[in-house]
This record gives sequence, C-alpha cells and structure tokens, in this order.
Amino acid sequence: MAETKTDAMISTQPGYDRMASWPYFIWVVLLCMFFITILIWTVSMFFNAPLEEAAEWAKTPNPAKAPWYFIGLQELLVYFDPWIAGVIIPNQILIGLILIPYVDTAPEVQGCYNYSRRKFQFVFFSFGIFLWFFLIITGQLLRGPSWEIYWPIIDYPLGGHEWTYPNQILKASQAKLHNLSLPVGITISVIGFIVGMTLPAIMFKKYFKELGIIKYSLVMTHVLLTLGVVGKILLRLVFGIKYVIVTPWFNI
Amino acid sequence: MSTNLNNNNEVSFVPPFLKKIFEYIKSTPVWKSIFRVGYPDTMPKRMAVMRSSFYMHIFPTKVGVHGMKIKYGWCMGGITFFLFLLLTITGILLMFYYVPEEHRAYNDMKDLRYVVPFGVILRNMHRWGAHGMVFTVILHMIRVFYTGSYKPPRQFNWTVGVLLLLITLMLSFTGYLLPWDQLGFWAVTVGTNMASATPLLGYEGPFSKYLGIQIDNDIRFALIGGTRIGPNALVRAYVWHCVGLPLIATALMIFHFWRIRKDGFSGPM
Ligand code: HEM
Repeated sequence: MAETKTDAMISTQPGYDRMASWPYFIWVVLLCMFFITILIWTVSMFFNAPLEEAAEWAKTPNPAKAPWYFIGLQELLVYFDPWIAGVIIPNQILIGLILIPYVDTAPEVQGCYNYSRRKFQFVFFSFGIFLWFFLIITGQLLRGPSWEIYWPIIDYPLGGHEWTYPNQILKASQAKLHNLSLPVGITISVIGFIVGMTLPAIMFKKYFKELGIIKYSLVMTHVLLTLGVVGKILLRLVFGIKYVIVTPWFNI
Repeated sequence: MSTNLNNNNEVSFVPPFLKKIFEYIKSTPVWKSIFRVGYPDTMPKRMAVMRSSFYMHIFPTKVGVHGMKIKYGWCMGGITFFLFLLLTITGILLMFYYVPEEHRAYNDMKDLRYVVPFGVILRNMHRWGAHGMVFTVILHMIRVFYTGSYKPPRQFNWTVGVLLLLITLMLSFTGYLLPWDQLGFWAVTVGTNMASATPLLGYEGPFSKYLGIQIDNDIRFALIGGTRIGPNALVRAYVWHCVGLPLIATALMIFHFWRIRKDGFSGPM
C-alpha cells in the first residue's frame, strides 16, 4: 500500500512503534461490537422506551422539557432571553469548538494526556463541559412545574412525581427581579470587556506574544463570553437582576 | 470431547475427521475465490488480509501501538460508529411498521409494543442506542480534546467532528417527535420555539420585524412546515430523520474516516 506523507512522517518518529492490525486491533473492534450489542440488548430487555399519552395540542404538560442533551439550553432560558439561550449561545459554542484547533496550534503537546503543559486549555475546556452538564443535571432532575427548583428528597417525600396530582400546591418564585439602568449596564459590560481583554495580555506577556493578537482576541472573546454567561447566572441568582442591558429592541 | 495433540504438540479440540473436512473446504476453488489469503499467520499475510478485502480496508494494515491502548482512545469513536450502524439496522426495521401520519404514528408505537413480534425490543434498542450515541460522541470529543489530537495535521477533522456532533444531536432530536406522544410533541415544541427567537429570521427575534418576518414566514415555519407542530412537522421530522440527516452523517463519516486512515491515529510526536 502506498503510504501517505503524514503516515510516513509519523511512522519515522522515534519511539513510534507500529504493529499489524491483525489480529489484535480486529479483536478489539469485534469485542467492542459484541459488548455494545449485548449491553444495548440487555438494557432493552429491562427498560422500556418511554411512551406517554398520544400527543394533544390542548394539553400542555407543566413543565415541558426538551430532550436531555438540549435541556442545558432550556435551563439557560431562566437567565437569558430565548434569542441568546437558544440561538446565540449554541452557535457560539459550535464556533468556539471549531476554532479550537486553529487557535491552539502548539504541536509539541499532542497524542498524550499532558495536562501540565496545557493547563489553560485543560481548565477552560473542562469548565465548559462541567457547566454544560451542570445545567443539564439541574434542568433534567431538579426542575418541576413552572420550571421551579424541586429538590429530590425535600420536595418529594414519597419519591414520585407529585406534581402530576391535582390540587398540589405549586411553588411560585418569590424573587423580585429588577434591571440595571442602561448607562450602568453598558458601563459594567464595557469595563468588563476591556479589563478582561487587556489584563491577561499584561499578566501573561509570554503567551500573548506566542499567540499573536488575532488568536489571542479569539480565545479571550470566548473566555469572556463564557465568564459572561456564568456572571449573568450569578447576578440573577444572587442579586435578582433580570437584564443587564435593556434596549427597545432587545434585552441582555 | 476428546482432546488431540496436533503436529506442533498444541492442544486441539477439533476432532481429526472434522479437520479433514475443513482442510477440504479450504482447498475448494469456491472457498479460495472468497478468501484469497489463507489464515493470516505470517506478517505478509497479515498485511495482505487487510489490504485485499474491501471491508477490512477501512482499517490500516499497521497501527501505532500507542494509539491501541484502551485508556488512550477509549474506543469511543469506534463505538459511536458502531451505534450508528446498529441504529441504521434497527431504524430500517422500525420503518416497516411506522407511518408518519398524525392519526397512525402513535398507534404504530402501541402496535410495536403489544403486537409486533420483538417490536418492543426493537424500539427499545433504537431508543437506548440513540441516547448512547449522543453520549459516546460527547465522550469521544472530550477524549480527542484531552489527548490534543486536534493538533496539526488533524485540525480539519476536528471541524468535521464538530459537524458530526451537531448532526448526531439533530438526528436524535428529529427522532424524538416521531412517536407522536406527549413527551416528544412538547419537547420538540419547546425546542423549535427557540428558533422563532432567532435574530432577524425568527418572528419573535430582535430586529426581525424590520424584515417583514411573521409567524408564517420565519425560520421556525420553514423547519416545522406550519405555525405549530402538526402533521407537516411530523413528515418533515421523519424525512430528515430517516433520509436527510443519515445521508449527511454518512458523507461526513466517510470523510472523517478517510482522514483518520491517511493521518493515522494520533500518537506521541
Ligand atoms: C458521529 C460521530 C463520530 C464518529 C462516528 C467518529 C468516529 C471516529 C473514529 C472511529 C475515530 C478513530 C479513533 C477513535 O476511535 O477514537 C475518530 C477519531 C477522531 N475524531 Fe471522531 N467521530 C465522531 C465525532 C467526532 C467529534 C464530535 C469530534 C470532535 C469535535 C471528532 C474528532 C476526531 C478526531 C480529531 C479524531 C482523530 C483522533 C486521533 O487521531 O487520535 N470526531 N473518530
């Protein structure tokens, strides 16, 4: 077989051992296939796929939940308007993911778990994944009617979905929400952005030089957007602030 | 069963007469026309067995020892692909019994559970397999990130991967509506309502009123073929789920795998 350039390139690296795919690799693949088939089969024997009553437009369930992998976005609806939670943030995540290989190009740390030499990447990515699953778990397990928090043991002494019974007293959020005035909101956002963009560049001069202004700006924009999402969540939870910026056209 | 010692003094559980039959079968022209390389017990044969078979050719003839370790690759890309195959097979079988029509879809689900032989296990496998695939594709992405496998020359394959992640989520989401029960109906209502908030293109989104966008011509309308989830949305979900998205996913996977074969597994550089 004619070997491609990259293949040849890699195989001449010192310390890069290769072995025939047959039989070990093929066995791993085969065993994997058996294992997964048996696993799915067994799960399917014991747990039925959910099937509720027939769809009915007139009967809106409370709450109506998105599938688990999108529930993080639905959970964000508590803190953001739909155009941010449902459109801007998911698109930004996709763009950010696609950008990763183009901003993090240092080739030496590749092909092994090497956290100590890529601390920043490790922390930022892990934080993103953590945040994502944190939102999913909150939305999936802790949200009840009207999207209020329902704690597993405190709110369900019998361990069931009690809200399905009529006459159940529902929680209603007591929090009074208010907005920041436009000048204050804009000032805070602009200062946050400027400080967030410049401070790391001054503190970590070496990395700033290595990255260059374009890659640095791309990375920091995404870091600040992520922190912005967390910041907004905290503002809402701690200070009851609904919008930081209010305009006639849109609110953030 | 009696054990026999063969020429090399290895224990063999195959009785001699069976062995003779095997030997004979293997020497027939028919057998040889199908399996061109004998049992791959030497290095050249091990190379040849991979190279000379169309299906085996998806694997490399040689792999880096490093990349083979389970703790390195977690097998997650492979498992994701296998789940995709499993979902294709169970999905095609489900299509025999399911019609995406407002008044039939839900009853077909009931039939699958109570009438169709093995219908319940078929549907369960498709359902749990789908959840599994979403989960394993996320794990695969996490693994690729932590091993830094998106570094050159694999940058673009990471991009293709991100698209595959998106397509996997869309596949799962469109399938969610098909049972036409309260669960899927409202989940998809919630999900597609978000599209109406798209800036410029959704009727509830910022600035869209300046473009003359209304409830019956915005992006959500294009997605679900109506102003609310109804029969049109069901057909659209079905066609995307069973034809459109699987084709896109397959095209992307072919590219993904081609690149992996050309670049090899990532390993220490
Ligand atoms: C339907 C979804 C996907 C399938 C079926 C798939 C399949 C595979 C397979 C079989 C491999 C071989 C190595 C391994 O098993 O780990 C692989 C490698 C790879 N995948 Fe995926 N993948 C998918 C999605 C993704 C996603 C979401 C990403 C990243 C965002 C991605 C990025 C990569 C990269 C960069 C490699 C090369 C890794 C290396 O050489 O170590 N893939 N993929």
